[in-house]
Amino acid sequence: MLKRLIALMMVAVLLAVLTAACGKKKALKDEGDDESDTPKTPYVVKGNEGTITGTVSFEGEAPKPDPLDPSSDAFCNANMPDKFIDNVKIKDGKLADVFVYVTGGGLEQYRFEPPAEANLDQKGCRYVPRVLGLVVGQKLSITNSDKTGHNIHPQPKNNPSWNQVQGPGAPPIEKTFGKAEELIPVKCDQHPWMKAWISVLNHPFFARSEENGTYTISGVPPGTYTLVFRHEKFGTQRVQVTVPPSGTVTKDVVFKAGGGASPAATAAPLVLPYVQ
Amino acid sequence: MIEQKGINGWRPSRALHRYAVFVAFLTGVLLLAGALVTGNEAGDSVPDWPLSFGRWLIHSDNFVANVRYEYSHRFIAGMVGIATFILAVWVWRADRRRWVKRLAVIAFAGVFAQAIVGGVRVLLASYMPVSTVKAIVAVPHALIAQSFFAVIVSIAVFTSRSWFAPKESKTDASGLSLRKLVVFSVAAVLIQLVLGAGFRHLAFGIIPHAVGALAVTVLIAWTAMTVLKRNHDDAYLARPAVIALALLVIQLLLGVLAYIFRMASAGEPVKNIAGFFNSMTLAAIEKYNEVQPVEPTISLTAAHLVVGALTLATLIVLALRAYRVIQPARAVQTLEQKTLGSSPQRATV
Repeated sequence: MLKRLIALMMVAVLLAVLTAACGKKKALKDEGDDESDTPKTPYVVKGNEGTITGTVSFEGEAPKPDPLDPSSDAFCNANMPDKFIDNVKIKDGKLADVFVYVTGGGLEQYRFEPPAEANLDQKGCRYVPRVLGLVVGQKLSITNSDKTGHNIHPQPKNNPSWNQVQGPGAPPIEKTFGKAEELIPVKCDQHPWMKAWISVLNHPFFARSEENGTYTISGVPPGTYTLVFRHEKFGTQRVQVTVPPSGTVTKDVVFKAGGGASPAATAAPLVLPYVQ
Repeated sequence: MIEQKGINGWRPSRALHRYAVFVAFLTGVLLLAGALVTGNEAGDSVPDWPLSFGRWLIHSDNFVANVRYEYSHRFIAGMVGIATFILAVWVWRADRRRWVKRLAVIAFAGVFAQAIVGGVRVLLASYMPVSTVKAIVAVPHALIAQSFFAVIVSIAVFTSRSWFAPKESKTDASGLSLRKLVVFSVAAVLIQLVLGAGFRHLAFGIIPHAVGALAVTVLIAWTAMTVLKRNHDDAYLARPAVIALALLVIQLLLGVLAYIFRMASAGEPVKNIAGFFNSMTLAAIEKYNEVQPVEPTISLTAAHLVVGALTLATLIVLALRAYRVIQPARAVQTLEQKTLGSSPQRATV
């Protein structure tokens, strides 16, 4: 009897491992992931770079924000006036936190020096900003402005994972990402409503739409590119854009409640990596 | 008549049995704590292990939000580990049955292995994508937990007075025997617990767990009805069968409710029966992870897990009792041929 039970349990353990292995998700390949072994030429600023600017709008009825409950942490409860998850920020028909970047146009042949460090703060028990872009190798400084502890837990597919605690008043945590990867989910497991998205690109030509929906990407080499707009809730839109030498081009896009796109854009639902 | 005499009329003390029941209860509390960790997505809130924030006993300032669930789980696990060690030593010294001693050692090895697997789960999350870690470590972690619970319940049964009380020997029916049926039920529930853990940890969607629920429902109902049909006048067998049926009904209700509330909090409310079945896609389930886990989904899911464990425990008791008093039809025939005219069968365990 005992032997049978033990055998049963062993079979079940084997089944657990097999089923888990079968059900494991395949890593998502990023569309901006142009990793190759070909040596890249350092990009030299020519002085004729242009600017892409525009506004991201939202049409239709905004979805009801998802509620959150910070009552498990007295500090968070007292410092979060809006008890809603901040994954949809629409104000006067303008959509914030859309990650905008260029792709194509021969950019992949160049190597771009990473700019100065970027900051991800934990403030009011939220990540600020919620959407952040980095260049490969750029230093990321993570700070905690709260009087409560957090843990920062990015869950990349192509870069090393890590999970680190940062107490109140602790020194900044400095990290870099060595490979391009879009929409890396970042989570605080202590406060499960806290989420952020980090996109790591091989070039610095990206921006995040502000609260008034505007974005600006400057220093773009002249050429024709695909301009990609990604929002965690409303999906992806792509438009063609030609940057004139030393000029500015304006591209406005509209995200629609039903998932539609602007007339000149193509839209697709956004398949996000797992956030657990 | 079968009489479990032990060795030279020896029987374990009531205190040992009561202590084994206490360890089983503590293990149930640990399972509940583990379910709350998963339900609140708190598994990575304390990134270090075996220490927590560098200490064995954390500072009260750290005991907030999801850390409460993870640290409580670790603390209770430590208590279960110590309690199991004491149980193993007690059984080793006090119980004269070698195989029960071995079972107690297996129990301690199980709780030790479970602690290691839990620690690996925590540490790997700092080096691998959580989805991968959950699939390859968290699901076995859940299974070992339930298996350990089953072993502790078995020890409680083996040390009970009723295990040694004289029982009337019964002959199993030919065809699919009750002994086999009840073992199939135990196996099905264990597999179903794995499928449930796989769903909770997002290794796969709800469909395998739903199909498993159907299979388990049929098997438990079949087993219980068979027991009641053949042994309705024997409380020793009939009582766990009735309890298993009752737990099955509660479990199905909890499972359906937990699923409906989970879908509602994921923004995919189930409006009718057709919608219930249409919603069984992994894509819809994934949306649950975009929002903060909320009540009553957390409590319903935790209760569902605990009732699942109780169902397993009840079926283990039924299986052990069935093996205790029911003789296979073929074995009885063989015995009768060999010992025709001899004294009534007596077995010593």
